[in-house]
Amino acid sequence: MTKLSLLLTSVVLLNAGLSHAGPIEDQIKYRQSAYSFIGWNTNKIKAQLDKPETFSKEEVIAAANAIAAAANSGLGALYGSGTDQGEGWRKTRLKSEFFQKPDEAKKLATTFNLEANEFAKVAETGDPVQIKVKFGKLTQSCKACHDSFREKDPK
Amino acid sequence: MQKQKIQIWDLPIRLFHWLLVITIALSYLTIEIGGIWADWHARLGALALGLIVFRVLWGFFGNKQARFSQFFPTPSRLIQYFKGQWQGLGHSPLGALAVFALLGLTGVVVITGLFANDDITLFGPLYPLIDQSLSDWMTGVHAIAFNALLTVIGLHLLAIFFYWLVKKNNLIKPMLTGKKYLEIHHHTDQTKAEAKPVYFFISIALTLLVVWLTFGNVLTDLLATKPVPQAPSSQSQW
Repeated sequence: MTKLSLLLTSVVLLNAGLSHAGPIEDQIKYRQSAYSFIGWNTNKIKAQLDKPETFSKEEVIAAANAIAAAANSGLGALYGSGTDQGEGWRKTRLKSEFFQKPDEAKKLATTFNLEANEFAKVAETGDPVQIKVKFGKLTQSCKACHDSFREKDPK
Repeated sequence: MQKQKIQIWDLPIRLFHWLLVITIALSYLTIEIGGIWADWHARLGALALGLIVFRVLWGFFGNKQARFSQFFPTPSRLIQYFKGQWQGLGHSPLGALAVFALLGLTGVVVITGLFANDDITLFGPLYPLIDQSLSDWMTGVHAIAFNALLTVIGLHLLAIFFYWLVKKNNLIKPMLTGKKYLEIHHHTDQTKAEAKPVYFFISIALTLLVVWLTFGNVLTDLLATKPVPQAPSSQSQW
């Protein structure tokens, strides 16, 4: 009993110590917005890779930098405890396992950040072949986290 | 007893079968890997759609052993089969159940896939025709139906091994060569059973038409109310 209350107290204190971006609904809203923005930029790049005649080095760089900026903005702050339940723009699809496997979560999140920054570098080359390969790596890092920590069906 | 080599599976059926095996395996592989391979998942989806549409058409217009009416597992045929009285070529009534289950589930997987999305860069060719929430639901059904399909494939393989090891009846070889050694009394049932070649070409043409309408963006261009996600970005100045 005392152990449990001690644990609960420390969890509460720990959470208070981290700078989470406000109420649960806000955290979910911000992160849904962030990934939606990342998705928009990702598909702009995809469209240009699919149709080489529309490929524009500047636009790809701009989109890649936008993705990297979102990735580097500290999205981890939007994953406070309890944010596996609740509604932002819509119900969150974050699995509770996210909080049970913090090491895996961290690994997947940092892989995405790494790939986003690597991709922004490759985008500067303007070479569609290299960009395409790195783009595949980037979207794989999205998928890895979706597979592990995102509900297949909307809750 | 005299035995005779008889053609039971025509070339279209055999090609359909083995191409579908390859398509299902590669579809699974490509979506699991993701990244640049996700594009191939969509291309394989086009192939799967074509295969299913062709098989359904061939089930009406094809050679005798391919026609659904020939092997539809009616209760009386199933009872006959379980009493050990079923005599015939082609799909047994129990095998026919598997055929319809496999075709049906593959059909559901293919059709939901047309509307599905992976929320990264992969969008089914008919995604622009529906809401995101409906597409998400379709994506869920796509996955569930695929798992069901894997289960039925498992049963299908178990049945083949059972026939092979227990009943000493190799079903794999006829699906490769098309031919089977049978006791001659079966031969009485061998009426003129081949479809006219023109039916084959009509089936192929209709199949290509369906694939073109869906994957060639023809339907979406005609009916879509929202822009295709892959549309080029606008040239705004800010």
